[in-house]
Amino acid sequence: MVEIQRVAKTFRTAGRNGTGEVKALADVSFSVRENEFISIIGPSGCGKTTLLKMIDGLIPYDSGNILIDGKQVIAPGPDRAVVFQSFALLPWRTVLANVEFSLELRQLPKEQRTKIARDYLKRVGLTDFESHYPHELSGGMQQRAGLARALAVNPAILLMDEPFGAVDAQTRQLLQEELLELWQRERKTVVFITHSMDEAVYLSDRVVVMTPRPGKVAEVLDVPLPRPRAAEDVRRDPKFVDLTNYIWDSLKKTMENHH
Amino acid sequence: MKNRAGANLVSIASLAILWELAGRILDSVLIPPLSKIGAAWWKLLAGGKLLPNLAASLGTMAAGFVLAALVGIVIGLLMGRFRAVEHFLDLYINSLMSAPTTAFVPVLILWFGLGVESRIAVVFLFAVFVIVINTMTGVKQVDSVLVEMARSFGAKEREVFLKIMLPAAMPAIMAGIRLGMGRAVKGMVTAEMLLTLTGVGGMIMQYGSSFATDALFAVILTILIVAMITMRLVQTVDHRLTGWKVEVAVE
Repeated sequence: MVEIQRVAKTFRTAGRNGTGEVKALADVSFSVRENEFISIIGPSGCGKTTLLKMIDGLIPYDSGNILIDGKQVIAPGPDRAVVFQSFALLPWRTVLANVEFSLELRQLPKEQRTKIARDYLKRVGLTDFESHYPHELSGGMQQRAGLARALAVNPAILLMDEPFGAVDAQTRQLLQEELLELWQRERKTVVFITHSMDEAVYLSDRVVVMTPRPGKVAEVLDVPLPRPRAAEDVRRDPKFVDLTNYIWDSLKKTMENHH
Repeated sequence: MKNRAGANLVSIASLAILWELAGRILDSVLIPPLSKIGAAWWKLLAGGKLLPNLAASLGTMAAGFVLAALVGIVIGLLMGRFRAVEHFLDLYINSLMSAPTTAFVPVLILWFGLGVESRIAVVFLFAVFVIVINTMTGVKQVDSVLVEMARSFGAKEREVFLKIMLPAAMPAIMAGIRLGMGRAVKGMVTAEMLLTLTGVGGMIMQYGSSFATDALFAVILTILIVAMITMRLVQTVDHRLTGWKVEVAVE
């Protein structure tokens, strides 16, 4: 379980016009249940990526507390893995070597590394591309590799930072379906950042709606759709339409209040 | 690639023909026709003058260049990695980079004498700064997302450096090596001309002052060819090490 308690973050900026302060997050609280798929949605700059990095332990928070199973987060740990928006693949490594990277850092012997990496490449459908370099692959395939790299370390919590934001619409839908399938099989806690309402509702158990900067939680919504979810059925379900509309209104309201 | 080689060949052939014609028409000692230069080159080669001198020159250059590459890469990595080292050194590196290196030759003579040590030092000074600056730039330009990714998967400082920064900076390091190699050739010839007259630089001075222009041009052409071969060598190593980058550039 991930508990985010009254977390705040202010960035100090140094520019030509001297130093300034940007309040990214103010008093964010919510919790994520075990094996839950939760999405965080909000306008650009609301600090959702910052929040994700703080859950991963990459950047410190100023006040409040982030707890995972009761333990305070102070650094990245083996229980978490991130899927990055820009894929963050190493261009000088093949797809296989990229997936092995996360295992290398865990000091696994070479043979075992390759075996595990191949296994996860198979699960994301990249078996035939293991000796390709990232630039030889489409965006969707690159992100599949990014997903395989994260899953390979078998984390309890998968942190996904707008992972499908940089791929085209069709690929995006395909990746969403594949992700749900994988999640259903692997049972992981997923924190998923997005600014697509469709995506948030289709994938998640709950959706956290955030306000513009400084980011706060506007509301946390349950998604009352049964699983497993077939994309075609879900998108026509009146409950799906209602909820996306509701989130749209909610986002609009937070934006208007902001002005 | 094939077209390029063809174009090079056409360019060299037409220059050679023009040169030959100009030499014959002008009939001046200042521009000997290519055929005479070729004959002089053969004489130097057969007389056992060219190769020993060339070998001596290349030995000096290799020593100075390897030293420059080692020192340059280490300093460049440190400057790229640690802000404090960069701030401490960057003033000197930048001014020495653009300063005329030849101006330091008298100082080097005082420090190292007129022997091979001085010549190695000149080659070193010619080559080292461009390697430092390229290496530093390479390290500083590493995509921060990759560093973040590595940290997120639990990489320690040492692993971030060895597995992310070093390979990511490799294309820039190799660019520095390539430029440094070109400068090392210049340093080698400069040292031999300004210090004791030895090696191919010494030959240039000797033939130039005695108006043996055919031999002079023969030596100059030899140096050009050697420079081209060394550059090609460096490029081959570069492609081996950073093929992933080249492929990106081609697309």
